[in-house]
Amino acid sequence: MEYWDGMKAIAPELWLTGFALLALLVDLLTKGRNSRTVGYVTLAGLGVTALALMGQSERVTAFGMVEVDAFGRFFKLFTLAALAVVCVFVMSDRRERQHGIGEYYFLLLGAAVGIFFMVSTNNLLLLVLGLELLSLASYSLAGFHKGNKASAEAALKYVIFGGLSAGVMIFGISLLYGLTGTIDLAEMATLGGEGLPRGLVSQLAASPIPVGIAVTMVLAGFAYKISAVPFHFWTPDVYQGAPTPVTTFLAVASKAAGFGALLRFLGVMFVRGDVQGLVADYGGQVGLLIAVLAAITMTVGNVSALGQSSLKRLLAFSSVAHAGYLLMGVATMNNEGFSAALYYMAAYYFMNLGAFGVVLYFEGVNGNDHIDSLKGLGRKAPLVSIVMVAFLVSLTGLPPTMGYYGKFLLFTAAIDNGMTWLAVIAGLNSAISLFYYFRIAKALFLEEPSDESVPRTQPIFTGMLTAFGVCTVLFGLYVSPIMQWVVSSMDLLG
Amino acid sequence: MDHTLLNWIIFIPMMGMAAILLCPKRSVGLIKVISLVATFIPLVLATWLYFVGFEVGSPAYQFQFMRPWIYSSSEAMNMKVNYHVGVDGISLPLVWLTTLLLFIGVPASFGIKKGEKAYYALLLLLEVGIIGVFVSLDYFLFYVFWEIMLLPMYFLIGIWGGPRREYAAIKFFLYTLAGSVLMLVAVIALRLETGTFSIPAMTEIAMRGDLLGTKLFAGGMLLGMKFTTWVFWFLFVAFAIKIPVFPFHTWLPDAHVQAPTPISVILAGILLKLGGYGLMRACFPIVPGAFDDFAFTLGVLGVISIVYGAYVALGQTDFKRMVAYSSVSHMGYVLLGVAALTEWGANGAALQMFNHGTSSAAMFLVVGVIYDRAHHRDLNGFGGLSQPMPVYWGLTTLAFFAALGLPGLAGFVSEAVTLIGAYNAGDPRFRVLVLISVIGIVITAAFLLWAIQRVFLGTLNEKYKDYPDINAREIFCQAPLLFLCVALGILPFYLLDWMEGSVEHWVSSMSQAIQIING
Repeated sequence: MEYWDGMKAIAPELWLTGFALLALLVDLLTKGRNSRTVGYVTLAGLGVTALALMGQSERVTAFGMVEVDAFGRFFKLFTLAALAVVCVFVMSDRRERQHGIGEYYFLLLGAAVGIFFMVSTNNLLLLVLGLELLSLASYSLAGFHKGNKASAEAALKYVIFGGLSAGVMIFGISLLYGLTGTIDLAEMATLGGEGLPRGLVSQLAASPIPVGIAVTMVLAGFAYKISAVPFHFWTPDVYQGAPTPVTTFLAVASKAAGFGALLRFLGVMFVRGDVQGLVADYGGQVGLLIAVLAAITMTVGNVSALGQSSLKRLLAFSSVAHAGYLLMGVATMNNEGFSAALYYMAAYYFMNLGAFGVVLYFEGVNGNDHIDSLKGLGRKAPLVSIVMVAFLVSLTGLPPTMGYYGKFLLFTAAIDNGMTWLAVIAGLNSAISLFYYFRIAKALFLEEPSDESVPRTQPIFTGMLTAFGVCTVLFGLYVSPIMQWVVSSMDLLG
Repeated sequence: MDHTLLNWIIFIPMMGMAAILLCPKRSVGLIKVISLVATFIPLVLATWLYFVGFEVGSPAYQFQFMRPWIYSSSEAMNMKVNYHVGVDGISLPLVWLTTLLLFIGVPASFGIKKGEKAYYALLLLLEVGIIGVFVSLDYFLFYVFWEIMLLPMYFLIGIWGGPRREYAAIKFFLYTLAGSVLMLVAVIALRLETGTFSIPAMTEIAMRGDLLGTKLFAGGMLLGMKFTTWVFWFLFVAFAIKIPVFPFHTWLPDAHVQAPTPISVILAGILLKLGGYGLMRACFPIVPGAFDDFAFTLGVLGVISIVYGAYVALGQTDFKRMVAYSSVSHMGYVLLGVAALTEWGANGAALQMFNHGTSSAAMFLVVGVIYDRAHHRDLNGFGGLSQPMPVYWGLTTLAFFAALGLPGLAGFVSEAVTLIGAYNAGDPRFRVLVLISVIGIVITAAFLLWAIQRVFLGTLNEKYKDYPDINAREIFCQAPLLFLCVALGILPFYLLDWMEGSVEHWVSSMSQAIQIING
C-alpha cells in the first residue's frame, strides 16, 4: 500500500503529466486547426492540478524522495498561477498561433512538472532531474520561433550556459556525496555517526574547505537559474530573443523555481531548527557570500538596465536586479528573511507578469518592443498605460504597492540580521531603478504620439492586466492574505 | 481615541479623485466642479478643526484615530503597523494651509487646457499624500504618504510643465527618492530597535535616553559612529532634500521653473514645509542626542541656505527662478530657528513655515499672472507694467514686501522671532550665525525691490501696452494669501497661540532629553 500512498502524494504531478500528454493528443486530433482548444485543455489541466494540490494538507515524504509540504505547495501553486497567465498570453498573441501550438503547451506543462519535482525534494538527484527537465523544456521554448534568428541564437546561448552551470552544479553535488555518503539533504544535515551517512557537521569539522567548494558549486547552478551575477549573461539575450510568453515564463516561473530549490537547499542544510545551532557559523558564512552576491547582482542589473532601449532587455536586467533583492532575503539565513523572500516572490508575480503582459500588448500594437515606440500611448491606450505605471511603481518599490511591502520586509530582514550595508545598497539601487522604469512612464505619458493611429482593443487581455494592476496595489495595502499564506508556507524550517 | 474628522479631511479628496475618474473626459466643467467641492470640504473641515474643535494651547495630539493595520500571527513577520493619525499645534496650521492652497490651486489651474481629467485627479491625489504626512503618527504610514505624494508630482510637472519638464520631473523624483530610501532604512532600524512604528512611542523611548542601538549593533556603534548619529543623518538628508537645505537644493529651481503655476504654488507653499515639519516631528525628537551634537552644523547649513539662496536669487534673470531661490533662502530660517532649540527660535521656525507658505505661494501666483500674458519670464524683458496693470502692481508689491520682511507684514514677525530665538541659543556661536544671516535679509530686499523696479517701473515696453489688468479669478486666488500675509503680520497670535503649546513642549522635552542623554 505504500506505493499507492506515494502515488497519491504525487497526484498533482501525475495530473500535470497526464494533461501535458493530452494537450499533445488534442493538437494531433484537431490537426492544429483550432489552437485555442489546446489552450483550454492546458488551462483545465492547471486548474485540476491546483485543486489536487490544495487537497493536500498532510506532510509526507513519497518514495523517500518527494517532500509534500506547504513550502513546496507555495511554489507549485505559484508556478501554476504563472503558467495560467502565460497560457492566456499565448492564446491572445496572434503570432504565437502560427507554429506547432500543441508542442508549445506540452513543453510549458513539461517544464512545470520539472519545477514541481525541483521544489519539493530533498534528494539532490531528483533535484537535478527536475532542474534538467525544466531546462530542456525551456531551451526548446526559447527557440520556438524556428525561422527567427534571434530566437535560435537565444536558445543556443541558453543551452550552452545551462549545460555549463548544470555541469558545475552536478560536480558540486558529487563532491557533497563523496564527503557525506548520501544525496539526501536531510541526512546530510545531521551529526552523522559511524559508517554512512557521515553528517555535514562532522565533515565541516574535518574538511571545511571541500565542503565550501562543493556548496559554492551547487550555488552556481542555482545562480544560473535565478540569473544572479556572474551567471546572468544569458538573461538579456534569451529574454529578448525568446517569444514574449516564454520570456514571461522564464522570468517568473523558472526564476521562482530556482529560488524555491535554493531556499530548500540552504534551509534544510543550514537553517532547520535541529541543525541551525550546529552549523550556524558556517551558514552565516554562506549567507555572507550570498549577501555579497546579492549586492553585486542588484547593482549590475540596475546599472545595465539604464542604457537599454528594448523593453524586453530592460525587463531582463530588471529581473536580474530583482534576483538581487530576493537574494537579500536568502542571505539572512533565517525564517524572517526566507518569509520576506517568499512575499517578495508573490509581489514579483503580480508586477512582473503584469509588466510583461503590457509589453506583449504593446508589441502587438507596435510590432516591436522599442521604448521609443511607446511614445504617447498613454493617451491612445490609457487604461493599459495607467496599469503599467502601477507595475512600474511596484517594481521600483514605492508604496502603496506589493513591491514596496516586499522590499520593506526584505530590508527589515537584512537590517535585523546585521546587514544594514546591504539594505542601504538595495535602497540606493531602488533609486537607480526609478530612472529606467520611469523612462517607460515618460514615453507613455510625457511624450507626444508620433501618429494618430488607435490601437485595437483586447477586452479580455486588458481586463486581466487591469486585475493584476489592482492586485498589485490592493495587496500592497491589505497584506494579510498573502502574508498569512507565506507564514503558513514556511514549514520547511520547522 | 476615535475622531474620524481627520480621515474625512484625508480621504474626501480621494473620493473626489474617484469621482473624477468616473467622469467622461469631455465634461471638463463637471470635473472642475468636483475638484472645487473635493478641496473645499476639507478646507471647511480644517477651518472648523482650527477654530472650534482644537483645544488651543494644549501640547497633546488631538483628534487621534487609530486602527491596527498590518499585524501577523508569526512573531518574525509581525510588523505591528497601525493606521494612526492626529494633530497638534505644529501640524494643525500646516494642515489648514494645505487645504487652503489646494483649494486655491483648483481655480488657479483653470488656465490648463490639456488632459484636465488626469490633471485634477492627480492634484487631488497629491492633497491626500500631503495631508496624510502632516497627520500621520505612525512612521510606516508617514512613509507611505510621503511616497504617495511623489507620483502625482512627477506627472504634474512632467506632463503639464514647461519645455524642460521631463528633466525637471525626473530630477525631482530621483532626489526625493534617494532621500527617502535612506529614511526607509532608518525607519526600519528604529522599528527593530524600539519595537514600534508609533512616532509618539518612539519619541518617548528616545527622550528617556533608551534609544541606543544596542539591539542591532554591538555597543550601539557602527563603523565608529553612534547608531543615533547614523539615524540622524539618514533622516536629516531625507528631510533636508525636501526643504531644501544647501547643498541638497539643486532640484528645486528646475522643478519650480518647469512646473505649471498652480503646482509651483503647492510645491513652494506646502511641499517644502514637509521637510521642515519632518525634522520637527520625525527626526530631531527621535535622536535628540545626535541633534545636540550637530545643532551648530545645522545652524550653519541654515545660514548658508539663507545667504546663498538670496545671493543666487539676486543673479537670476528668470522671474520664477528668482522666486524659487528665494524659497531656499526663506526656508533656511526654519532650520536656523529649530537648530537654536529655544522657544522663540522654534516658534519662529513654525511661524516661518506657515508665512512662507502664504508669501511664496502669492509670489508664484504673481509670476503666473505675468507669464500667462507675456509667455516669458525674463525680468529684463519687462518694464513699466505699473501703467497697464496697476492693481497687479499693488498686489505684487504687497506679496514681495511680505516676503522681504517688511514690518507689519507676516514675514517680518517670523523672521524676527526666529533670529531673536537663534541669538539667545545656548551656544554663543549662534550669535555669529544671526549676524551673518542679516546679510541674507539685505540681499533679499535687494533682489525683490530690483525685480519690482525692472518689471513695473521704467519706460513701458510698447508690446505690453494693452495687457489687461489682473482679473477676478486671479484676484480670488491671491486674496486669501495676501490677507493672511497682512493679518498675521498684525495679529500673529492667531497662529502663535495655537502652536505655542506644542512648540514649547517640543523645546522643553528636547532640552530635557538632551540633558538626560548627556548625563
